[in-house]
Amino acid sequence: MTNVTPKARFLYIPALLLLGACCCDKEVVTAPPPPPPPPPAAPAAVVVAPLSDVFYDFNRSELTASTQSQLKTNATWLSANANKKVILEGHCDERGTNEYNMALGERRAQSAKEYLVNLGVDPARLKTVSFGEEKPFDSGHGEEAWAKNRRVHFVEE
Amino acid sequence: MRNTRIPIARIIFAFCCMLILPLMLRAEEVKEYIVIRKQGAEKIAIVLDKTIAKGDRESEWAKSLDATIKGGLDYTGLFNLMPAPLNIRNTQDGTINFGAIGSVGSDIYVTGTVSKKSGAPNLDMQVYDITGKPLLNRKYTGTDNQLREIGLRFCADLVELLTGKKSVFGTKIVFVSNRTGAKEIYMCDFDGQNVEQITSTRSISLTPAVSQDGKYLAWTDYTSGGPDLYIKNLATKVTVAVRKQGVCIDPGWVPGTDECATTLSIDGDQEIYLIRPDGKLSRRLTKSKGIDVSPTFSPEGSRMAFVSTREGRPHIFIQDLKSGQVHRLTFSGNYNTQPAWSPVSDKILYSSMQKNGEINIFMINAGGSGLLQLTSGTKANEYPSWSPDGSMIVFSSNRQGKRKLFVMNSDGTNQRPLLQMDGEQQQPSWSIIK
Repeated sequence: MTNVTPKARFLYIPALLLLGACCCDKEVVTAPPPPPPPPPAAPAAVVVAPLSDVFYDFNRSELTASTQSQLKTNATWLSANANKKVILEGHCDERGTNEYNMALGERRAQSAKEYLVNLGVDPARLKTVSFGEEKPFDSGHGEEAWAKNRRVHFVEE
Repeated sequence: MRNTRIPIARIIFAFCCMLILPLMLRAEEVKEYIVIRKQGAEKIAIVLDKTIAKGDRESEWAKSLDATIKGGLDYTGLFNLMPAPLNIRNTQDGTINFGAIGSVGSDIYVTGTVSKKSGAPNLDMQVYDITGKPLLNRKYTGTDNQLREIGLRFCADLVELLTGKKSVFGTKIVFVSNRTGAKEIYMCDFDGQNVEQITSTRSISLTPAVSQDGKYLAWTDYTSGGPDLYIKNLATKVTVAVRKQGVCIDPGWVPGTDECATTLSIDGDQEIYLIRPDGKLSRRLTKSKGIDVSPTFSPEGSRMAFVSTREGRPHIFIQDLKSGQVHRLTFSGNYNTQPAWSPVSDKILYSSMQKNGEINIFMINAGGSGLLQLTSGTKANEYPSWSPDGSMIVFSSNRQGKRKLFVMNSDGTNQRPLLQMDGEQQQPSWSIIK
């Protein structure tokens, strides 16, 4: 740039602007993008619901009916993805004390793992870890947030 | 007859001298002088005179020493500090007018002189009772950037002299803060000064606990992805990791040993185990279905208080380490956690989640009597930890919004913030650090 004479620069800038304008025009002119293609048919013709978190009552690690039904769905995913390993992260809401919640989070992860193993999942594919109340999904303070935080979160390893 | 009487008189005189001489020697400095107070009675009244100094440098030192000594003694909550009355010194000869001390209602007079010796401060402190009897006469030296240590050394001696007990001076508090965005372990002086960052793992570091002799620091850290225990030798700075299947959380040291107890789940259930400082398992302590967590030990190390859900909701239990016998300590409330056994008595602190949603700190005797609520009025007052002398308590509270550290006297009075620091602070643990 240092070698460019002021005159050249004088020409250069409008040239750039023109080019830019041309580009803009071009975009506007192009036809709207085609609608996304329909999802390709699943190769094995089986649609498996993705892994999803499961939830718990306050200060509880026992499985509720809805927790069990989601775990069954997750078990289906695990059998459809037989080569995948997952980590079950146990979490708690902010109530109660951190140290106790560290143990409670582990019990939640353990109870979810036990249920999946009983459904036939190889325990070697399931790792548990507790985060207590250290990693809330929702940082709010109230039952709505707490309910989302009392969970076992499934992570593909 | 006369000749025989004189030796007898001499013998009596000599005998009297022998009796009096030790008393005169003692008058120089009384090693053990304990102000007699009723339990829970008012504070010890002290007239704290300004440190005498000649010269500009010395006057600067005196100002700094006075601030340290006054701040230090005030912090303990043990004293009612009074400035010296105007007539404290006799105008003619500069001697101390002890009558003036008693007349303002004080028990004790503290005075000192700072001088310069080879460029360094030399503090001479004297303590008298109201009769003019010297209780302490001691020299404190150091470099001129050690003025705080010099002042606090005197404070420690004064507390020991007047209460017969060790003081908080020189002790440290370790705690967790998310100041950097990640939870790391920090350490500060007993009064919140000199904050120092201990871990920089940028992971989650939790529940620091220093052994009672100040040799080891144990804490839980997520560097490997899960909660592992780390034990650091504070003298050699060598750290060992205790990695086990499952959790490895909330360590508590056993007094008089090098072992700490922590919760592991290697056998499936969350149980408390003893760990050696090299990270090796020593033995399993609990055996019950449910959570066993947060061990804390009696001063002689023979009994452990801990949290257990063996009877349903979390409560504090006590286990005799020799016999293995367990009994439940808490019956009021239905969510009692975070026990802390006094390092000098049979009192146990814990936090309880109450029906109104508040978490508050309670004190109870190990026998189950004398339940006392120490905090109230805010969402969460948590994680109590005793000062090593048992006179104070540090805890976390969100009474001003964010979770911060506070201190109080062991009877719950004099609650005040410990330190000003960005972010949140929690899980304090108070101990001696060498």
